[in-house]
Amino acid sequence: MGPAVLSVAVFLYGPLIASVALSLLDWNLLSSEVRFVGLANYGAVLDSVDFRLSAWNTLLYCATLIPAQIILPLILAVMIHALRRSPAQGFYRGCLFLPTIVAYSVAGVAWSWLLNPVSGLFNELLDHFGLPRSRWHTDPNLALLCVSLVTFWKTFGLNMLLWLAALSSLPQELREASQLDGASPRRHFFTISLPLMAPTAFFISVTTLFHVLDDIVGVIDVLTHGGPAGRSSSLLYYLWQQGLQFFQFGTASAVAVIIIAVVLAATWLQFRVVEKRVHYG
Amino acid sequence: MACTSRRTLIAGATAAAGVAAIGAIPAFSADARIEVSSTWGADKPFQKVVDAFNAKKLGVTVTNRFDGDYESATAKAVASTAAGRPPAMMTTGWKFGYFAKRTLGARDLREIDAGKADAILANFRPSLLPLVTIDGAVIGLPWAMSTPITYINSKLWQEAGLDPNLPEMPDTKWLYENARKLDAALKGKHPTYRSALALSNNEWTSQSFIQNAGGFIIDPDGKLALNSPEASAGMAEYCAPAHEGLWLPVSAKDQDAAFESGALAICTTSSTRAATFPFGGAKAITARFPGLAGHPRKMNSGGNFLAIYARSKEQAEASLAFLEFCASKEGQTIWSEVGYLNTSIHDVPADQQFHEACGRAACGRLDSGNHLAGQARPRRPGSLAQMGFPDAAQGSDCGRGHEGRASRAGSPGFCVSRCGPCLLACGCWSHICSWGQPFFLSRFSSTAR
Repeated sequence: MGPAVLSVAVFLYGPLIASVALSLLDWNLLSSEVRFVGLANYGAVLDSVDFRLSAWNTLLYCATLIPAQIILPLILAVMIHALRRSPAQGFYRGCLFLPTIVAYSVAGVAWSWLLNPVSGLFNELLDHFGLPRSRWHTDPNLALLCVSLVTFWKTFGLNMLLWLAALSSLPQELREASQLDGASPRRHFFTISLPLMAPTAFFISVTTLFHVLDDIVGVIDVLTHGGPAGRSSSLLYYLWQQGLQFFQFGTASAVAVIIIAVVLAATWLQFRVVEKRVHYG
Repeated sequence: MACTSRRTLIAGATAAAGVAAIGAIPAFSADARIEVSSTWGADKPFQKVVDAFNAKKLGVTVTNRFDGDYESATAKAVASTAAGRPPAMMTTGWKFGYFAKRTLGARDLREIDAGKADAILANFRPSLLPLVTIDGAVIGLPWAMSTPITYINSKLWQEAGLDPNLPEMPDTKWLYENARKLDAALKGKHPTYRSALALSNNEWTSQSFIQNAGGFIIDPDGKLALNSPEASAGMAEYCAPAHEGLWLPVSAKDQDAAFESGALAICTTSSTRAATFPFGGAKAITARFPGLAGHPRKMNSGGNFLAIYARSKEQAEASLAFLEFCASKEGQTIWSEVGYLNTSIHDVPADQQFHEACGRAACGRLDSGNHLAGQARPRRPGSLAQMGFPDAAQGSDCGRGHEGRASRAGSPGFCVSRCGPCLLACGCWSHICSWGQPFFLSRFSSTAR
């Protein structure tokens, strides 16, 4: 227990308390001048147009990516599970999981080649088919969608594996019984398989929120840098910019505390509303 | 007969080996180790400067630690300084001048050793020293300096049938007009051509437009002046080719890739690209950064200074020893390979390969084919006079050029006799600040490149 408690205290609660403290101060971490500013950093953050745009973008990212990250991997898992007696299953599973283990820097470079508005592959293909070229991630109206697309490509593999594991652990007898009773595959899935996978579904829904918030930062950093004009930024990226690009530690800490509060509230809500419907037994 | 036992033999051999080993140790052992946080990896000329210094075995061993871009390196320096272990030295972006002095605690070189510091600084152009003087303290060497210039794909230019005689002082009217002609001639008809122009989608080149239009980011009174009519006019001119479809703004990496692949015909970016662009597929020729017609040119610059952050006396003095080498002609000659402008007073010879190939790219390409030899004046990137370094401009001698003096890439016959008003010439850098970093009131005009 000792080391575990210590590590949680040092690496989780310590930074959390430090963030709260820093958010109330005007301090650059190095100077001996430390000024207590109360909630001024929070006021400045909430007044910031960039913060509000980042918050709105984060909401859009969540609205786009959370359903996509839950439903599409489930569909892919069902399709792969259907091949469970085929040697092709391993191949498909490996191919689809591969992007998850690719480094963000590599993924970013690869996608920027594909999306490059001047000489990228996608525009060449559009040209080939006589379609108008696109500015892709440099278009203010498409930047968020491009980041969402790359984030999804980069991260859906983990949820797919979790769904696949859940599908594989379902009792075979239930499938055979439902087949004997004449249940269609669709009915079997929605009335038997899905309810039995509820614990996995709940786990995925909770962790996907964290992953979406976290994963988009890497993609934004390598693909758009939050641009154009902040149209693809997110709260975490805004935090990173304030803290490690502009060295405004008070503001960055205020953003961190706001994010912690929002995530805590969302997670509490998930447990409060959804967990009641999950059957673990 | 003397009899030697095996034990005696082994002991003797060990002793002999020990003596030999001691004898092999150089007179000056590497007894002080310093680490330089830099923005260049092991494949860059800075590593060669470090290696050349270490090879001298002066009692100081320097390690080059690549810490990413200026922001990343500075962020790491903040963390390590907060932890009580600041980097001994760091290549610090110009825009972090005040931050380096007031927050990170960059050392005053004269405070470490006044005599040595003055001797080191005497190797650099006096006009640059105010840039590294913050709050009355000299906090580093003016190490790297670049300026945005224009690169033109010589083949595309030629294939579009454009006039090979580039103007001495290009302006946006000329540039945009030629971009339109390029687009009309090549769009949809050329296998690689995709876009006419890229002005670099960043705060650096846009700042140049604002300055050239007579505006400021921060005015002489220290107030943000982006809403002035002049600044608006500069930005309108900057954005015009994007609205017209001539420019698809992309990241610097994407822009470089597009230019090198022949998809992009013209791009304005750092003069450091002159070390690569003329030799790539684009066979780039260079011209000055476009000014605004009817306005005096006010170009900005970027780069970094080499500062000492070490707290201990030994580390600071060891760092000064390294700076001494960096400032020397030998150090500057090695450093010149990177493509930055020569900030020192040394006659640094141009790298032969760079010199020859760049010379070919500058004049040979346009002069090939139907063009008359000599019509296109060889343009060498990065002339100090182009930037307006006062002493370089004063020393200009049309017809003889600044061979090995004003520009490390100086070539015979290259004439840069004129320069528009600029920051370094007029000494007005104190009232211009880096865009986008309002809380770090930089006294230098530009962001680092």
